[in-house]
Amino acid sequence: MIRAHVKSCFRGGRGSARAKKCRAKARTEPRPPGSEMPPGLISAYIIVAVLLTLTIGSKCPADQLSFLRPTIESCQPKLVKVFGAGAGRIESYATGILVSADGHVLTTQGAILDGRRVRVLTTDGSSYDASVLKRDRKLQLALLKIDARTPEHFTLGEQSVGQKGDWVLALSNAFRVADKDEPLSVMMGIISLRTSMTAKLNSRDIAYQGDLVLIDVITSNPGAGGGAVVTSDGKLVGMIGKIINSSKTNTRLNYAVPNATLYRFFNGLQEPDAAQKNGVQPGNIAAVDLGIRIFRLGGKRDPAYVDRVISGSPAAAAGIKPDDLIVSIAGVKIGNVRQFEQVIKQPTDGSDQILVVKRGRKLLRLTVSTGEKGQ
Amino acid sequence: MRRVNFFPRRRSDCLLAMACVASALLFSESLIAQQNDSPFQSLKVLPEVFRSAERTVRPTLVTIESFGGISAVAGKIGGIRSRGEGNTTGVMISPDGYVVTSTFNFITRPPVITVIPSDGKRRIAKLLGQDKIRKLCLLKIEDVQNMPVPEWVDAEKIVVGQWSLSLGVGYGDLSPAMSIGIISAKNRVGGRAIQTDANVSPANYGGPLIDLKGRVMGICVPLSPGSQAVGAGVEWYDSGIGFAIPLSGAGELIERLKNGETIEPAFLGVRSMLDPDGTGVRIEEALPNGAAKKAGVLVGDVIVEFDGRSVSNPIELGTMINRHESGDTVTLTIDREDADEPLQIVVQLGSVPPPKGKSSPLEPPPIR
Repeated sequence: MIRAHVKSCFRGGRGSARAKKCRAKARTEPRPPGSEMPPGLISAYIIVAVLLTLTIGSKCPADQLSFLRPTIESCQPKLVKVFGAGAGRIESYATGILVSADGHVLTTQGAILDGRRVRVLTTDGSSYDASVLKRDRKLQLALLKIDARTPEHFTLGEQSVGQKGDWVLALSNAFRVADKDEPLSVMMGIISLRTSMTAKLNSRDIAYQGDLVLIDVITSNPGAGGGAVVTSDGKLVGMIGKIINSSKTNTRLNYAVPNATLYRFFNGLQEPDAAQKNGVQPGNIAAVDLGIRIFRLGGKRDPAYVDRVISGSPAAAAGIKPDDLIVSIAGVKIGNVRQFEQVIKQPTDGSDQILVVKRGRKLLRLTVSTGEKGQ
Repeated sequence: MRRVNFFPRRRSDCLLAMACVASALLFSESLIAQQNDSPFQSLKVLPEVFRSAERTVRPTLVTIESFGGISAVAGKIGGIRSRGEGNTTGVMISPDGYVVTSTFNFITRPPVITVIPSDGKRRIAKLLGQDKIRKLCLLKIEDVQNMPVPEWVDAEKIVVGQWSLSLGVGYGDLSPAMSIGIISAKNRVGGRAIQTDANVSPANYGGPLIDLKGRVMGICVPLSPGSQAVGAGVEWYDSGIGFAIPLSGAGELIERLKNGETIEPAFLGVRSMLDPDGTGVRIEEALPNGAAKKAGVLVGDVIVEFDGRSVSNPIELGTMINRHESGDTVTLTIDREDADEPLQIVVQLGSVPPPKGKSSPLEPPPIR
């Protein structure tokens, strides 16, 4: 009985580690009590036992070496290598993700797509010429299509996938390490933060407005753009974006463009933020002159101290005084003169704005009414 | 199959036996499944543990805002220019409003600093003392009480290989960004830092490195074994080599910072080389006004011991000096050619002189 168990494990086993484990298991198995039965039943017993051990044998270890292996193996065929034009220091290679059964590939927008030919290599090493269906300079995304059936593909959707702290795998061809049909590089980490580009990162960093998944896997490397960031069970969190430098920290960001954004891009839906912005109609409302004149003798990185307040202006009505330090306007921190100038140029919707100023050792919240002048 | 010699006396016994065998087999199957899962079960629950650790410490994090400051220090700071425009991170260490953070966050010398604790109210902060060796400094906000403070891990009990999480609000969200890793080493950079492979960068300098229970193991700072310049070590941001300073039992240091003290790296003030005649470090030059010269160390002297520990080469000497701070007194054992026996010279270590030529590039801007 014991030997049969061991044997079946061997049969099912591929690695010695697994077999060893099963053997250890078998040794410790309790002997069945009530140890006598008629010979007629022994054969039936044997058959049942063998059948049972066989099922155990086949179930024995789905995968003892890595709980991520099934995920990685199922994801690899859903990614492609993208090759195109290189220019100067811009790489001629990237990664892409398959998002339909008809050969739709999402990747990052860039000079790589400007050449005569864009080539896509699927996981089996087959090479296809890809046509560029659409490119979005703001989202920095591009949709390609190859003439192939691609039953293995990621599922896009409106729901956000993965939360802060969840394990993620990043698969990409960073540095073009993988050649031809070689599998892509896989790295592991967690989701650091789900944040929004609009408010959190400076608009100079990237034109893209919307949500962003920061990860602690270092993906900001050449060729990684277009790679996949997936949860430990293989769901698509997002796509590795182009390399961007955050002006907040002066460091490179490691991030994924979320699945929902990819879904909207793929389906030609408008970004919610963009729709909101259209309501405001930038440019149609002139920036309101609050009547604050900033002390400008220093550099643009100097703190925004008030030099003068125009009498009768909204600022004067709100009680802003010379020598006040502007700390924030409408919730936006004013770190220096340059940031003040940027914010003051923004169109307003005519509603009241909260200004925080530092006067002496105190912070004051003042309400500035921009209504009358705006109309 | 073993040849067995068993005949049940009754049929029910036989059925019972079969049932037992079957259940034993089924049980063992689930056991195997469990056993197969167990190495990974802990990995699967870890994200929840990470989040709970973060939730535990989050109320003690503060967002630090800087207003104004110089545009950039001369040249690059470890591969990146300036500090970035974003907020930085600090940790509340006392209920009455003392905040510890990294000196790196004030590299641009901002004349105005504000702190936003977990209650969301912005307050003006005063910069107190600085430790230029550990790259730490202390801020104080007034008129607060009952501020939440974190629990600290006893530095002695930190174990290499244990999980560690770095947290920081540098990306501009009040919710901190989180990165995980392990403790890579202890007693790094002059014996003052612990090393981690979690991401450490301007996004979390001044923020905590915590364990899985949400207790603070150290404060993330940029450090470099080769230099003690304020920006040194930033070149290793997000590289897998990150440092944090444990502060458990550092009550004395905190008191000094509260009193506004500036702690400077130690400087012996000599140029030295390996002594060609034997083991020891030969003085090639003693800088004028340097600590060594003041104490009477001469060119040609060979330092053989530093505080009673033998010195075999200049790098070792440098490491020993780095374990001290400016103002510390040390005893050098020196072989001098015309002396019969080794001399004992007591030296009060000085601080690194400002760079020659122009005034320091880190002067704050004029404030009106």
